[in-house]
Amino acid sequence: MSAEVSEPPDYITPAVRAIIGAEAPPIEAPHAVEASEVRRFHQALMDASPRFWDPEAAARYGGPVAPIGFPVHAMRRMEDAPDPLDALQAGDHDGVDRRLRPGLPEVQVPLQRLVNGGYAYELFRYAHPGERIRLRSRYVDIYQRNGRTGPMIFVVIEDTYETVRGEPLLRSTNTIILR
Amino acid sequence: MSVATTITAAQGAVFDDVEVGQDIPSVVKGPMTTAHIMRWSAAMENWHRIHYDWQYATGNDGLPDVLVNGSWKQHVVIQLVADWVGDTGWAWKIAFQFRGMNIPGDTLTAWGRVTDKEERGRWGLVDLEIGLRNQKGEESTPGTARVVLPRRGGPPVPYPFDPAALDAP
Repeated sequence: MSAEVSEPPDYITPAVRAIIGAEAPPIEAPHAVEASEVRRFHQALMDASPRFWDPEAAARYGGPVAPIGFPVHAMRRMEDAPDPLDALQAGDHDGVDRRLRPGLPEVQVPLQRLVNGGYAYELFRYAHPGERIRLRSRYVDIYQRNGRTGPMIFVVIEDTYETVRGEPLLRSTNTIILR
Repeated sequence: MSVATTITAAQGAVFDDVEVGQDIPSVVKGPMTTAHIMRWSAAMENWHRIHYDWQYATGNDGLPDVLVNGSWKQHVVIQLVADWVGDTGWAWKIAFQFRGMNIPGDTLTAWGRVTDKEERGRWGLVDLEIGLRNQKGEESTPGTARVVLPRRGGPPVPYPFDPAALDAP
């Protein structure tokens, strides 16, 4: 790198480094998986597998199931939670919550653009209508890479989804990029 | 006999029949429209403006159009793998990156190719390269998967799936 190009600041400050490994208290979905919710999901996915509604087709699983990735969307808005659409009244708000996960400390980095880099899933079991889902989240790693377009902060979050009875559903490793 | 009784569990791939280099059956969705994007955003309660506010998406964010949700695309690549293993195997690991955008008008094809296979315990492990291409062949969601398949005449893949079961005596 030539001398006149200034190195971007190191955003991984001691305060940022201190939250690596931080774990959120377990949170439970505000309601159990609903059959109609499952129907809207598989129809919006245009996935017509009968395991989502037919008890015979779903015999291996002990009855109809939600799509295998469903738990990722189960942490819905509580009945009395503030309306997320209120934030849209501020004209330039993009509609995305900057708290990466409820209960995890904020990543204190002055970069506004957020990109979802992707997921690595490990799948164990389908969720059934009537089951309530619990989530545990933690920061696995936070690191910086300086690309040609500027600095990027990679935030790696592990999310473990299980039923409230403790049956593992899936584990997700999500990489979020701040730039 | 009612129609419903003819629906049975889907027989998925069998380890012995799998060949490295083979393509697995693809899953095709689309052409995608703003209505498809709205339906998914409403189902998951996603309020990100780039999925429904054209002026915001193209103006503020400089995007070519509103975008097909990454959260939706991930389920399509998951479905690709889940359909192939059916109700007899297990889609153990699926990983992918969001590398490219998809917009209304795109027809999306989830594709997969076998890259490796090996026996493991009384079952078989198969590795796949996977992705999601539009009608121009542009890849947006490249990734990998590892699935567990039954061997011909062998025991069923355990469900719920516990990786420790693979190495049980």
